[in-house]
This record gives sequence, C-alpha cells and structure tokens, in this order.
Amino acid sequence: MRVRLAVAIAAICCSGSASAVDYQIHGYAAQGFVLSSHNDFFGDSSDGSLDYYEAGINAAVRVQPNLSFAVQAAVRDAGISDDGSLRLDYAVADYRVLSEAGIQAGLRAGKVKNALGFYNETRDVVFTRPSILLPAVYSDNQNQRSLIFTSPGAQVYGATVMGLHELSFTGTLNAERDVRKNDERLLVELTVPFDLRVGDSWNIQIMDSIDGGRWQFAYSHFGGQFRMSTAPEIDLSGRFDVDLNVFSARFNAERVTITAEYVLVDNDNRLTFMGAPFLRQRVAADAGYLQVEYRLGSTWTVMTRLDSSYRDRHDRDGRDFAAANPGVDRRTQFSHDFTIGINWRPDQHWGFWAEHHWINGTAILQRLENPPPVRRQRWSMLMLMAGYKF
Amino acid sequence: MNFPVHTPMLHRVRCLLVALLLIFSSAASSQNSDLAVDVIVSPALAKVTLDRSLLRAVFTMRVREWPDGTPIRVFVLPDDNPLSDQFYRQRLGMYSYVLRRAWDRMVFTGTGFAPTVVRSEAEMVERVRSTPGAIGFVRKRETSSQNRPAPPRWKLLVLTADDHG
Repeated sequence: MRVRLAVAIAAICCSGSASAVDYQIHGYAAQGFVLSSHNDFFGDSSDGSLDYYEAGINAAVRVQPNLSFAVQAAVRDAGISDDGSLRLDYAVADYRVLSEAGIQAGLRAGKVKNALGFYNETRDVVFTRPSILLPAVYSDNQNQRSLIFTSPGAQVYGATVMGLHELSFTGTLNAERDVRKNDERLLVELTVPFDLRVGDSWNIQIMDSIDGGRWQFAYSHFGGQFRMSTAPEIDLSGRFDVDLNVFSARFNAERVTITAEYVLVDNDNRLTFMGAPFLRQRVAADAGYLQVEYRLGSTWTVMTRLDSSYRDRHDRDGRDFAAANPGVDRRTQFSHDFTIGINWRPDQHWGFWAEHHWINGTAILQRLENPPPVRRQRWSMLMLMAGYKF
Repeated sequence: MNFPVHTPMLHRVRCLLVALLLIFSSAASSQNSDLAVDVIVSPALAKVTLDRSLLRAVFTMRVREWPDGTPIRVFVLPDDNPLSDQFYRQRLGMYSYVLRRAWDRMVFTGTGFAPTVVRSEAEMVERVRSTPGAIGFVRKRETSSQNRPAPPRWKLLVLTADDHG
C-alpha cells in the first residue's frame, strides 16, 4: 500500500508531456520565525513566534495550445492577520486568442490574481519575494487577500513587442463578494455585529519591460467599493471607496537589482445612521520603498531596503490625528522600516532567508495583536524563513 | 601588553574574509565567457527562423505554439549551470534570474507553464530529439548543425567540470 502510494506521488510530482494533454504540478512550503522587541508581529513574536507559515500546491493542464486550466490551494498563517485555513488561491481558465512572437492576447475567467505592483500576484510564495516580509506597499500585516489581491472575475491580458520594449497589459473585472469574518475584524472596528462586502471592482496593470527586462516600469490601479451593513434595528451602514495607484520601477543588472515602488491609497468613507449621513471621511494614505538586491553568486543574495508608510499623507507625523483623537498615539500613523537581509538558495528547491528590521512607528502593527497604548515607538524584528518548492 | 580577547576576534574576522573571498571567487568563476551555446530543436522544426525576438518569446514562455501549430516544449538546464547563464545572455540578452522570476510568476499564478529542467546536456539532446516541438540548448561544437544534434562530447564535459571543481 505504502509503495503504491509512493509510486502515485512520484507519478504526479513530475510534469507530463508525452501525451497531447500537458500538465504540471508545483508546490511550495515555508516556515517562518519572528523575534521582535517590544511589539508583536505575526504572533506573539516578542517571545519568538513560529505562527508564520505558508504552503500551497497547484496543478495546470493545457488541453490545447490555446486553452488551459489551473488551480492552486493554499494555507497561510501570520499571527492574527491570517488564520492558516485552507483556501482556494486561484482557479482559472485561460483562453489564448492570439499567440505570435510579437503579440499575444487572451482571456481568463474564474478566481484570478490581481496584478498590483511587482509582487502582489505571488505574494505568498517566499521564493518570489525580495525578502521574507513584503514592503508596506503590500500591507503584508493586513489580510486583504479576500478583498483585492485575488478574487472571482474575468481578466483580459496582452503583450506586444515594439523594438526594445515589451509592453504588457492586464485588466480585471471582479464580481461582488463577501469578506471573510476573519478579515472583517481587521478592517473595521465596530462594537456591534456587521457584515462587509466588496462591490464590483476593477484592476489594471500596464508594464513596460525594456531590453529583456533590464528596465521595468509599471503602473497598477485598483478601484473598489466596500459596503458595510448592520442589523435593521441598528440601521448603521457604510460605504468605503478605495482607489489604489501603484507606481513601480526596477533596474536589473547582472548582480544588482534596484527596485522602487510607491502606492497612493485614496479612501472615501461614508457612514449612514437611520438613513441620514453620519460621518464622511476622506483620507489619502501612501507608502513607498527603495530596495537594493545584490547577488554574490548563483546561490547567495543580500538585500537592503528603506520602507516608509503613512496613514495620512497630509499628516505624516500624526500630530493632527493625535489632536483630533485624544488618547491615541500619533506614532500609530506612520512606520519607517530599514531592513537588511540575506538569502541562500543551495539548489532549485530549497531557500533560506534571514533579515533584520529596524522600525520607527507602529502603522504596520495589528491593533488586535498590540492593544493600545503603543508599547514602543522604536522597535526591531528578526525574521527567519526556510522554504521548499518544486 | 597582552589582549587575549582579540585573538578569537581576529580569527573570526579572518574566517569572515576567507568566506567572502570564496563567495566572490565562486561568483566570478560562474561567468565563463568562452562557452559558446547552440540552440537545438526537434528535427521537424528545421525551417523555423530563430531570431532573438522569437527566442525570447519562446524561453519566457509567452508563445505556446510554433508557426505550424505544434505546441512548444522548452527544455532548460538548471539555473546554476554556467551554460544556462551563457545561453540566456548570448542568445536572449537576458539574465537567468530575470527568466526564473518570470517562470515562477507563471507557475504560481496559474498563467503559464515553466520549462522542463533537465539534468545534463546528454539528457537535453535526448529529450529534444524525442519530443515533438521541443527546443533546448547545448554547448557549441565546431561542426555544429542546428537541427541534427549529435551526442555531446563527454571528454569536454568532464574537463569543464574539473575546471570548476
């Protein structure tokens, strides 16, 4: 029995290309460790947290050269921001309309990945990240996966080559969907029970990849609307409009990769109580980073990054917020993170990461993990991760 | 005066320097500029013109079929093989880590297939010869023929491996 199982696993672990139908099976798994001073991040990390892991397995089948199907199941745990439950990460049918050397175009439908910045689509696979923790542009400590990072919808994509430029486009329309209970409590703080839904949303990315990827520039946009409702006897409802604009630039040299990204998030929040306007709030948050990766050889990479985020770009030091909200620390309104890291990949399957973060400000912390008041403004964090992929 | 505490410190610094030197020297040896690379394809694809733009589209897995409709099947050597690096630079004008990033993105978003990684040039030749629509690359031979790859020269392979050891 055991032998038969081993044979079956061996059979599915390799890709098949002998028959007319091509298929591939891939997966990844990584366990992290976080040790922080003063504040908690991804679990009870001030005492050392192993409450941080990610794993997934996917299968892709190509039934014709222009028609393929792919599905990925994943789990991820990250302190209070992710609960380790099994989820369908994507399930997509891909129909290629045009497939020539100079131009390609196609359609996808199902649960698709939204293209935002350089790293969003594969954000949970450490092998595709520049570091264990993604920069604040990606809000790694706020679980928004069920909101904007992957969602049911239809996607159109295309790419064309013009001289040295390879221009690509992805456009996605997402259907209305419910927000998971676990994510709701991280997004809205309310003392009464409520339900949160994401209305129809859309997302585009335009990328210019110059000279075989030496230079890459991208612009991504996400536009969506959240709707909050409570029981009829409470009659409190909310509408939160979110617009995300991400500007990305990357330079890839033989040894050095320099990456910079900036996100501007416009929030327009409206609360209605008993049918009458109750609260209107407009906030523009932003975040950006500059990152340098240096490849020492084919297996070792070191990186460093300056990463900043602000909850209100017109109140960067948080003083206006603190004045308007007595008792709330102004330092909850920003974070500056200086990171150094090292990555070792002895072969194509294994990877090991270590990085240290020196952080000023607590905007990237989860309130539920760090109940106010802010414990310490200046804090630091050591992160380790070991991963396997096939 | 004697500072015994400095001795292990010096030793550690020396170890670190040696380690760094080793890392840099191994990095330097990975660039072997005198390696020349040949593209090999299935015998049936003899008439396809493989210019840089088509090769890039094929090896970044953006196109899925040859002009005659045959599905494209891409074979590559492991990323840390010096020949891979040389091929991607010479013929595609790309770095291997940029290609790996593109392949990983496809594999983990369900938007494409990764190329099949073979262990050796011998296996590369065998797989490309026996798979319809296949494309791969091997070390250039003096009397190379693009469409009818001969078995690789074992002696040369062994010598090169010694050079790197």
